Amino acid sequence: MIYSLILTTLMFGAMFSVLTVSLNLQYARGGMINFGTVAYFAAGAYAYAIVTQEPPSGLDQYALGLNAPWWIGFIAAGIAAMVFAVITGWPTLRLRGEYLALTTFAFAEVFHSILLNERRIGNGSVGMANVERPDPAVLGLDDTLAYTAAACVLMLLTAWVFHRLLASPYGRLVDATHNDEIAAESVGKNTARVRLQIFVISAIPIGFAGALYAMITTLVAPALFTAEVTFFVWIALALGGERTILGAILGTMALVFFQEAVRMIPFETVRSAQIAASVEEVITGILFIIVLRWQPWDRLARKATT
Amino acid sequence: MSDTILQLKGVIKEFRKFRAVGGAEGLTFDVRRGGFLGLIGPNGAGKSTTFNLISGVLEPTMGTVTFDGTDLSSLSIAEIAGLGLGRTFQTPRAFDSLSVLDNVMVGLAHDEEGPLAALLGRWKGTERALTGKAEAALERVGLIARRHDSVSNLSGGELRMLEVARQLVREPRILLLDEPTAGVDPTLQGKLSQILSDLHAQGTTLIVVEHNLGFLMSLADSVVVLQNGGLLAQGAPDDIRRDPAVIAAYLGADHEA
Amino acid sequence: MTLFAQFVLTGIVTGCFLILATIGFSFTRRVEGFLNIAHAELLGVSAFTTWALNKLLGWNIFPSAFVAIVFTAFVGLAIGRIVYDPIRRFGPSVMLITSVGVAYAIGGTMDALIGTGIRTLDIPLASSIRFWGLRITNYQLLVVVLAVVACASLALFLNKSKTGLAIRAMSANPELAASRGIDVQKTSRATWLISSGMAGLAGVMLGVIATLSTDIAFHQILQILAVAILAGLGSLYAVILSGLIVGVAMDVSVFWIPAGYRPLIAFAVVILVLLIRPQGLAGSAQSK
Repeated sequence: MIYSLILTTLMFGAMFSVLTVSLNLQYARGGMINFGTVAYFAAGAYAYAIVTQEPPSGLDQYALGLNAPWWIGFIAAGIAAMVFAVITGWPTLRLRGEYLALTTFAFAEVFHSILLNERRIGNGSVGMANVERPDPAVLGLDDTLAYTAAACVLMLLTAWVFHRLLASPYGRLVDATHNDEIAAESVGKNTARVRLQIFVISAIPIGFAGALYAMITTLVAPALFTAEVTFFVWIALALGGERTILGAILGTMALVFFQEAVRMIPFETVRSAQIAASVEEVITGILFIIVLRWQPWDRLARKATT
Repeated sequence: MSDTILQLKGVIKEFRKFRAVGGAEGLTFDVRRGGFLGLIGPNGAGKSTTFNLISGVLEPTMGTVTFDGTDLSSLSIAEIAGLGLGRTFQTPRAFDSLSVLDNVMVGLAHDEEGPLAALLGRWKGTERALTGKAEAALERVGLIARRHDSVSNLSGGELRMLEVARQLVREPRILLLDEPTAGVDPTLQGKLSQILSDLHAQGTTLIVVEHNLGFLMSLADSVVVLQNGGLLAQGAPDDIRRDPAVIAAYLGADHEA
Repeated sequence: MTLFAQFVLTGIVTGCFLILATIGFSFTRRVEGFLNIAHAELLGVSAFTTWALNKLLGWNIFPSAFVAIVFTAFVGLAIGRIVYDPIRRFGPSVMLITSVGVAYAIGGTMDALIGTGIRTLDIPLASSIRFWGLRITNYQLLVVVLAVVACASLALFLNKSKTGLAIRAMSANPELAASRGIDVQKTSRATWLISSGMAGLAGVMLGVIATLSTDIAFHQILQILAVAILAGLGSLYAVILSGLIVGVAMDVSVFWIPAGYRPLIAFAVVILVLLIRPQGLAGSAQSK
């Protein structure tokens, strides 16, 4: 049981870490508050499902199923998230702070509403079940283990790419843009372009994570992609200390572990399970408030450097 | 190539109803190519606002700013900077999370500064060459020993010199300095004075806002005096010094202080 | 044509409700300087307090509503004191993100106490008033009347009373207000009470005109945000105007497109407005 708890935590933790690490790039380094993270995640998951599933039959209401191999679907997921980031980022990035937060939030809600109402995309609220995925058994691997490994690889790859991006003259430009846009502009830097680049670059891994999520759950439905995903990732980011890639990953792992552990508790009645879920929500919220209030990680880091 | 590099024509800037720059009929003056123009006036005369209007930080409510034949009104700050205009700010601006050296490196036009170059790791050669340039600029402003320091450890005066260094590496054709000596200690002021004379000698056009008139009048070859956003007087430093209107409005009071 | 007019009328009612729900949010934004995502949860607190008193304890609706509104106002004040005051120095972004945590905590508490399912208040069935072929229920009319009364009294309070003027001074320039001898603590306390009380009123209205479930707060925050962005987080009058615009746009849209898209219309309007005027309908332009 402990083994399966650890494995599940690692699997979902690594997958959501991709989101947290991307958000960390956007927020901590790019200075952009994206409250619509779930939309890029959903775009990836839906793109994967649409590209890989068989053409519609029977009760299906979706219009398109390309029946392509999984890796084409995976690439399509990255591209979908990227395109969605360009579409949403280009007009909104001139907005600052809270306005950007609100607009990205609005975009995510609009997207969610379209997925829910436009049945030709993915069967509306029913969603698409039995999403195709590579079967690790072909290679003689355990299913959960293989997808846990895949999630970890995606997470490490994302972290590595972002690290490489930032440890370069480009990273310096990103920091300069974040620190003082007018000063960066005054030496001829196109800060609008830098902001859009960061926004789009960090959306791509979120799309890949969406595809992986669709593979793991074998289901894409609007109910899986609500604003709660966005808030979850923000809370994980705050838990982890929002400055470093490692912190973002640890924060996500801790939060996923906490939620999975609560889910492991056996409950007698539906009502008590419900209460446990609510209490979990309350504790998550309070943890979040406490972390932002006292910022223990920042303090620890400061102590470590001085 | 015309003799005028920068031209303000009927420039007016209003914030809500308050006219910060422009006076009665709009601000109009020319800046001579290779000239050293001092821009002076009492506090609130609109000097910094004028700089912001030239560099694109603010858009004029009316009138045009022309830089070497190009109308700047529809251009962004970065585009104007790209034409060869450099400037510093009244309150020095630094990139807080970068080191002193990196603060200067940002000023350089860098061919391998994009995300692709970063991913491919193809930037180290260019970076080395440019680091040399940045260090030379830091040497000139007297901050070379501090190059690996965090900018939060610099004094106000040192931050000003850092801003100058960031502009120096860009080799702008015209450089606007906003109160460059404020808070700068005498040693660094000497360096600054040397840098400005060198730039002037190399043909860089300079516009300097300065309250330290002793410093400014010894370097400038012409002076524009602003008052309440309008042009009060314009001429050679010696003429300005004797202008009764200027003395009444500004010089007299400030000289005694 | 009559059907269209009916949609417009319903839209005005929706708009009036949105105004009630948004005033407090917009007020917090102006005075405290941040977007309080947890504001909508206060609507839920008030609605379910009313429900508990009315349905479980069998109280009459009026005392239930009154107690619920006062209770909500003090819950809002307590949260403001305990959670937001200590983090004000971290700036609006941290406060905004913290309010998500607050929303989680309140939402989870309500879920735990009340559970899922649909609830209704114990009040007489609505009766319809008909005129010119249009129809409006007495409860809908009540929402419109309360919105007008609430806006008018708030405007009066802000412009005439000493505390109101202090609040306006603080929203314009907090440092200056403090240096002019305005009691910042007291003013902030009044702000929390008023904005949370407004949320309480809106919550009761929600219980009166609709059915209740614990996820209402979440649906409301979307529309509140829409109205607030549209208003440019500006004055009371901008909130009134944009509440009506969003309400009417949402209900009239049903005329042409499937009803499922109704909430989406609010955001379509918002995105359009932000793209054309980034500072909102009434916000003042800033330097570039």
